[in-house]
Amino acid sequence: MSEPIIQMKNIEKHFGSVIALAGVSVDVYPSECHCLLGDNGAGKSTFIKTMSGVHKPTAGDIIFEGKPMDFADPRDAMEAGIATVHQHLAMIPLMSVSRNFFMGNEPVKKILGLPFFDHDKANEITMEAMRKMGINLRGPDQAVGTLSGGERQTVAISRAVHFGAKVLILDEPTSALGVRQTSNVLATIDKVRKQGIAVVFITHNVRHALAVGDRFTVLNRGQTLGTAMRGEITPEELQDMMAGGQEMAQLEGSLGGTV
Amino acid sequence: MKTMTKLLATAALVAAPLAVATTAQADGHGDDLTYILISHAPDSDSWWNTIKNGIALAGEQVGVNVEYRNPPTGDLADMARIIEQATASNPDGIITTLADYDVLSGPVSAAVDAGVDVIIMNSGTPDQAREVGALMYVGQPEYDAGYAAGLRAAGDGIGSFLCVNHYIVQPSSTERCQGFADGLGIELGNQMIDAGQDPAEIKNRVMAYLNANPETEAVLTLGPTSADPTILALDELGLAGDIYFGTFDLGDEIVKAIKAGTIQWGIDQQPFLQAYLPVVVLANYDRYGVLPGNNINSGPGFVTADALAKVEEFAGEFR
Amino acid sequence: MAQAAQTDERIKEISPLRKALIRPELGGIVGTVAVFTFFLLFAFDSGMFSSQGVLNWSIVSAQFMIIAVGACLLMIAGEFDLSVGSMIGFAGMMIAIFSVTMAWPVWLAIIVTFAMCIAIGALNGFICIKTGLPSFIVTLAFLFILRGFTIFLPQVIERKTIIGGIRDAAEGDWLAPLFGGKILTGFFQWLGDNGLIAVFERGNRAGEPIVNGIPVLIVWAIALVIFGHVLLTKTRFGNWIFAAGGDADAARNSGVPVNRVKILMFMFTAFCATVFATCQVMEFGSAGADRGLLKEFEAIIAVVIGGALLTGGYGSVIGAALGALIFGVVQQGLFFAGVESSLFRVFLGVILLAAVILNTYIRRIITGER
Repeated sequence: MSEPIIQMKNIEKHFGSVIALAGVSVDVYPSECHCLLGDNGAGKSTFIKTMSGVHKPTAGDIIFEGKPMDFADPRDAMEAGIATVHQHLAMIPLMSVSRNFFMGNEPVKKILGLPFFDHDKANEITMEAMRKMGINLRGPDQAVGTLSGGERQTVAISRAVHFGAKVLILDEPTSALGVRQTSNVLATIDKVRKQGIAVVFITHNVRHALAVGDRFTVLNRGQTLGTAMRGEITPEELQDMMAGGQEMAQLEGSLGGTV
Repeated sequence: MKTMTKLLATAALVAAPLAVATTAQADGHGDDLTYILISHAPDSDSWWNTIKNGIALAGEQVGVNVEYRNPPTGDLADMARIIEQATASNPDGIITTLADYDVLSGPVSAAVDAGVDVIIMNSGTPDQAREVGALMYVGQPEYDAGYAAGLRAAGDGIGSFLCVNHYIVQPSSTERCQGFADGLGIELGNQMIDAGQDPAEIKNRVMAYLNANPETEAVLTLGPTSADPTILALDELGLAGDIYFGTFDLGDEIVKAIKAGTIQWGIDQQPFLQAYLPVVVLANYDRYGVLPGNNINSGPGFVTADALAKVEEFAGEFR
Repeated sequence: MAQAAQTDERIKEISPLRKALIRPELGGIVGTVAVFTFFLLFAFDSGMFSSQGVLNWSIVSAQFMIIAVGACLLMIAGEFDLSVGSMIGFAGMMIAIFSVTMAWPVWLAIIVTFAMCIAIGALNGFICIKTGLPSFIVTLAFLFILRGFTIFLPQVIERKTIIGGIRDAAEGDWLAPLFGGKILTGFFQWLGDNGLIAVFERGNRAGEPIVNGIPVLIVWAIALVIFGHVLLTKTRFGNWIFAAGGDADAARNSGVPVNRVKILMFMFTAFCATVFATCQVMEFGSAGADRGLLKEFEAIIAVVIGGALLTGGYGSVIGAALGALIFGVVQQGLFFAGVESSLFRVFLGVILLAAVILNTYIRRIITGER
């Protein structure tokens, strides 16, 4: 097995008197889909915001590609290769797919020494990237608002991949989707993973997690209940842990003592 | 396609009222004489209604077409455009105020140069009218009118006053107050307040000022816009009839107040003449080539309780 | 809903016509055609389409365009500026006070005024960003603050509310002609000499063409429209403007410097207002405390007629320019057509309402809502 690309060690995050994370440790490996499960309020969002540079941890270390990292803001994290596809997407419905695709990273060509948005290049790359993910666009100028929820997720994911993400954090990408769209997104996750990218997949749907996950970590009340490999855990066990971990003692053995 | 139909429907909707309004007065030009009166007053200024009636009556009696135009917000730069526009429509004559010489002299001279006869009315001075090449000036020189009123008030023993200026951005308003102060022989200083155009605000500002300065001996208002609320303010303060109250211009409420003794006098610049006479002068000039040899002073005339019958009858309409 | 089966049909569903319809400029184009058709029919021989008449409504439209470009980009970036009209009055007054009362050289007065106004624009933006308050309220405050100063300062300094004499002060200045002059005067003289346009027939300007050049104001308007259009559609920054207005959080998540974009757009709006004011002051030679009243709404109306959404994220500078053209042509054209001038507001309201309804419909097509 290869080295973990990102290691979160004993991460603590306090908001005033509220302890959102009380020492969470997670390792994420390339070419793997790491599922982060937990009920609402378990600390999933805080955890990935810490990972993507939005929050600074109150205590604990982030080790990225073997070196300790200290992200000042999300841009730092993004430049290092940690991309996040947010719950409420970073997509703007009124803008075209290609404008959205390159938002914040527009390709530029010089005309008379002045930098201009290279629309041709942007359109070409967008169409190509979308085709790879199995989405046929009407044209690169099609507004994102006309896409289905699943297609939007796919645009967001392929955008992150295009801009060199090494770690792709997906924040509940399937929570608002129908069955077919969910399976499209899960297929996309699979494609991304096969390109060697580490995927962190946040969900509270055990079935979605088991469909593509290689590794499962359950968060509860700001603490991790342990990480399990694929095949080491059943859906029922995952579900129970998310529900509150009453049977934690009983489960601890099956999790391999990694708590 | 559905979209297109909707578009056409929308376009028709926009055009329909336009068409109706235009057919009513589209035949304004032709062999008849057409005169355009351009004022600086915003739509909200009711005083100019007399002017509208004046030109309408003159147009009817003399048999010429008359039009009234004004910048909706009272922005003088917009007024300059309206003068340019009027010139471009090639009328036989333009009657305009010269509310700000700097802004309006260019467009007015251009109209004169383009061969349009121009008469300056209301705002401006005889000198400025001559300078832009106008035929004559019809109106009441504002500073002089204020000065005359000041002398009259001084004769009545007044030594301090409040000038309720409802149109502070218009220089001639300030000149009235300044003239009044100079007539009294005192400094204007802080005795002029920017009252704004809203009646309730004017009323409350007057009350606030008079409460803060109880020694104020007189109130000067510059027209119905400021006079009407001021009358209410004085009633409320119990000062009506007690404090010396003079006003520029006339209106329904002012006439009633003069009758009631709240207002000592109103300075009537007789706007009717300012609108009526230029039309008559222009028509006769165009038809027979005759022109009075001098400017016409339409005011100041002091209206007191003694001579109210006619004023009362036509206040707000022709007076 | 059989999603997969429909995918292909949906691609075909968009006809070229429908595609043409979902441009933000559409409302502006339809309106422009309608307005010109109307006035060609009803006011053709009224002098509206003589050289002088054309210049008249062109100047008025150009004025609207100058402030509409700023308002348009700002609105697309998701913010409003209600202080534009007051800023116009304020900027004009500052130039007058600096150059006439304080007798500074006019070029210095202009430059300092630009710096002040752009700084105020930045302050507007800064306050909106830092406090998270709606720009509607913040700039409404500045509407009053600036107008108040515009009335107060000249009264205190000069005891009057209009300061004149700027034309004399600007005589021989190197910067002033950039705002108040005319170009192509030789060409127009030539046109006049050859009888192609009307000339003065008498007076001290006899023989000179009535329209003796293109005012720089119009050049500014065209230049700003081109600049705004290129900036918005052809540059990275333009993409950020759309993004900032479309969804500020989403844009931030994608690394767009939203705050910078918005503050810069506030500054650009202030710049446009100052250009308007400077041109006006240089043309008329005086600054008045009532200049620019209600211009902020006129700018916003032009922008909305031009297809921009009040909620931000969508719009077009060309559309806004067409909106300004419609506005100017209708405003002046009604006079030519001999319509009672108080009806102007009625037409304005009707056009605005029609434009907004049309735009809402267009947006539904774009975003696929039904």
